Amino acid sequence: MSVTYLPILLLFLITGAMAGGILYLARVIGPRNMTPAKAMPFESGIPNISPHDRPVPVRFYIIAMVFIIFDIEVVFLYPWAILFRKLGLFGFMEMTVFLAILALGLAYAWKKGALEWD
Amino acid sequence: MGLEKLLQREAVTTRLDAAIGWARKYSLFQYPFATACCSMEYMSVACSHYDIDRFGAGLPRWSPRQADLLMVVGTISHKLAPILRQVYDQMCEPKWVLSFGVCATSGGFYDNYATVQGIDTIIPVDIYVAGCPPRPEAVLDGLIKLQEKIQKQKQVY
Amino acid sequence: MALLEDISERYKEKVLETHSLLGDDTVVISREILPDLVRFLKEARGFNFLMDLSAVDRMGKDPRFEVVYHLYALESRARLRIKVPVAENDALVPTLTGEYRSANWLEREAWDMFGITFDGHPDLRRILMYEGFEGHPLRKDYPKERRQPRVGPGSRPETAFERGPSIEERIAVALKMSGVSVRGENGIRNEIMYLNMGPSHPTMHGVVRVMLALRGETILASDVEIGYMHRCFEKEAETHTYTGVIPYTDRLNYVSPLINNVGYAMAVEKLFGAGTTERCGYVRVIMSEISRVIDHLTCIGAFAMELGAFTVFLYMMKAREYLYELVEDVTGARITTSYTRIGGLKGDLTQDFAGKCRAAFIGVRDVLQECDRLLTRNRIFYDRTRDVGVISREDAVSCGFTGPCLRATGIPYDVRKAAPYLVYDRMDFEIPVGDHGDTYDRYRVRMAEMEQSMRIVEQALRDLPDGPVCLNDKRMTLPPKEQVYTTIEGLMNHFKLIMDGHGIRPPAGEAYFPVEGGNGELGFYVVSDGTGIPARVRVRAPCFHLVAALSHLIQGEMVADVTPIFGSINMIAGELDR
Repeated sequence: MSVTYLPILLLFLITGAMAGGILYLARVIGPRNMTPAKAMPFESGIPNISPHDRPVPVRFYIIAMVFIIFDIEVVFLYPWAILFRKLGLFGFMEMTVFLAILALGLAYAWKKGALEWD
Repeated sequence: MGLEKLLQREAVTTRLDAAIGWARKYSLFQYPFATACCSMEYMSVACSHYDIDRFGAGLPRWSPRQADLLMVVGTISHKLAPILRQVYDQMCEPKWVLSFGVCATSGGFYDNYATVQGIDTIIPVDIYVAGCPPRPEAVLDGLIKLQEKIQKQKQVY
Repeated sequence: MALLEDISERYKEKVLETHSLLGDDTVVISREILPDLVRFLKEARGFNFLMDLSAVDRMGKDPRFEVVYHLYALESRARLRIKVPVAENDALVPTLTGEYRSANWLEREAWDMFGITFDGHPDLRRILMYEGFEGHPLRKDYPKERRQPRVGPGSRPETAFERGPSIEERIAVALKMSGVSVRGENGIRNEIMYLNMGPSHPTMHGVVRVMLALRGETILASDVEIGYMHRCFEKEAETHTYTGVIPYTDRLNYVSPLINNVGYAMAVEKLFGAGTTERCGYVRVIMSEISRVIDHLTCIGAFAMELGAFTVFLYMMKAREYLYELVEDVTGARITTSYTRIGGLKGDLTQDFAGKCRAAFIGVRDVLQECDRLLTRNRIFYDRTRDVGVISREDAVSCGFTGPCLRATGIPYDVRKAAPYLVYDRMDFEIPVGDHGDTYDRYRVRMAEMEQSMRIVEQALRDLPDGPVCLNDKRMTLPPKEQVYTTIEGLMNHFKLIMDGHGIRPPAGEAYFPVEGGNGELGFYVVSDGTGIPARVRVRAPCFHLVAALSHLIQGEMVADVTPIFGSINMIAGELDR
């Protein structure tokens, strides 16, 4: 492994240690006291509200799926932004193909009404 | 002690209770259970002029899961009492209650069929801040006293 | 009055009495003709507002209850009071929910407080008290201190926690009334999710519970539950002297307490048939308008914060502090001022008030300019508030809307212009009016009103005359201390006004006095029986009608729209639940 990646490894280790340490400290110091009231979901103070085991409307799933796909697409664009000059025309053509495929997907989703809320 | 001489002035030693108390008192997350006129003074306390954030208590969280200071701001009616009780029960230890205003402390001048005569009939209270409504300085005074109490109390852990 | 004669002629022996005492047209009828009379008044005489509906318990007299309706005609600016006496064992009155939408909640409140049944009401259940509460509290034979706790010492299981209809049952009624079926089209079951935006909620400005039936994020129907801040103002008023009620009026609309003080004092002064001095009139106007600016600052600040504009909240609270310091100089308290007295004020303005006021207004105008730049043409704010919570003019009038919410729909009704009181007829100010009736217009109307209020204060300060601030009337004003300690008349006067059993005693009668509160027409209906304790004080709370229409406003919107709509209504729990 190249030496230039060593700081990143150190960053991960220190962050992990800090976060873990804080969580461990909270677990050690925080009292444990489970009561029935605490186990209930918080409904602005009203107890015994209707059970939340009904199926969730499907449009929430659709929005989430569409979001994930295009979010990952944006994530893939970031490395290209860093190496833009090095990749030059070849990179540009490749990314255009990539974006075109996803644009087709967007057009399909738009036409099918996945972007409408109702 | 020998340890302190060794460290010279580079570290401080203290008891665990005091250290935990210091951490807890300066990071109070409030649940402002705001109902009535006192909530106007609560807004004043929370905003720029009187600024409760200087005392570390500046982040209101409207969820009992994330709060440790329940500030009961304003009159509690009997219709609302079970909800107050439920909210208090849903908070995790360690938790403190600040009764803001005379209506929460003792019912105020509402001695009638709908008003709870003091929330300490329903939940345990740590600090009572009297006033109708209390001036923001009085609230900050109450908060400082609560912080002293938290520092000195036997911590639960 | 021509109207009263017309009514007597039309209904002949069913009209029991008509009079115009103290300038209020009143007609006492028997209950059979009530729906017909109201329809006649609404269609032929233009009485399109049901301002208030309440009852009076005249313990000892027969018939015991009197249901009192206050109607208002927008075009002709006429007011009418209709009284329907009902006996205790036969407390049944026909409903007006078919004529006015505001009658729905008003009749529920009369049922809750007095036990008067309204024949034909679609959903008659308790509104201010909780399920399991026994009795009707505003009846004179219900002792004021009889508590029925739900939790803690003395509680009974019948009143504990959530008794009464479950959330599904409550919304089932609302769903049916709005025509949504639980079974969807084509036999596919409508998956309705029930959500509770409960009493302890950051955007519920205090304590209102909204139960929502959702399909996804869209609201199909909702049920609004209030009463979590019921502090029995009206019952307390029946056990205190006229002056002793004034601190309770502060806590009604606690963001503009001076307006409540002024309204109540003027209603009692109307009972006496007296006014106040000229200087008192100007000072009351000045303090009322400052109070109105405080009200609008708080409303817009909180409303913007809930949409995410936290900076606007902090800036407006800063401006509010400038005004609080001003109010505190004059009255001694920031919020609960108790400034007016019957016949005058607690004390005069301070010497340097004018200078301080101008300095404060410079600060407030700065803040308003900045917040205007931050919000009015802000894309996000505009998108979240434009065409959200729209109400048409007819619906707004039928629901009993008054104040900025009504003016946002385009109807320029303001009590200060329609029925000027104190010295408003000498002031030069405009009434800002919107046109869409949505949340954005309600915001714009409030911002514009603040500027107009400051204009009024500046004019009043310019024209402020010298003179005493309390009316020199033995029946209501305490004599100066020099007279109390040196003359026998002063001592006797003081004694009679202070000691128990004497006190301020208006002549027997009733008076309704409307003032323009921060939310709309704030009316006090005071009934006196000649003793030192009021027989009945009824508050016509403007935001009661606004919150009653909340179900209508949020229907069809999304969950996230409840926040701007509710914020723009400016619900104040002290006034809503009294």
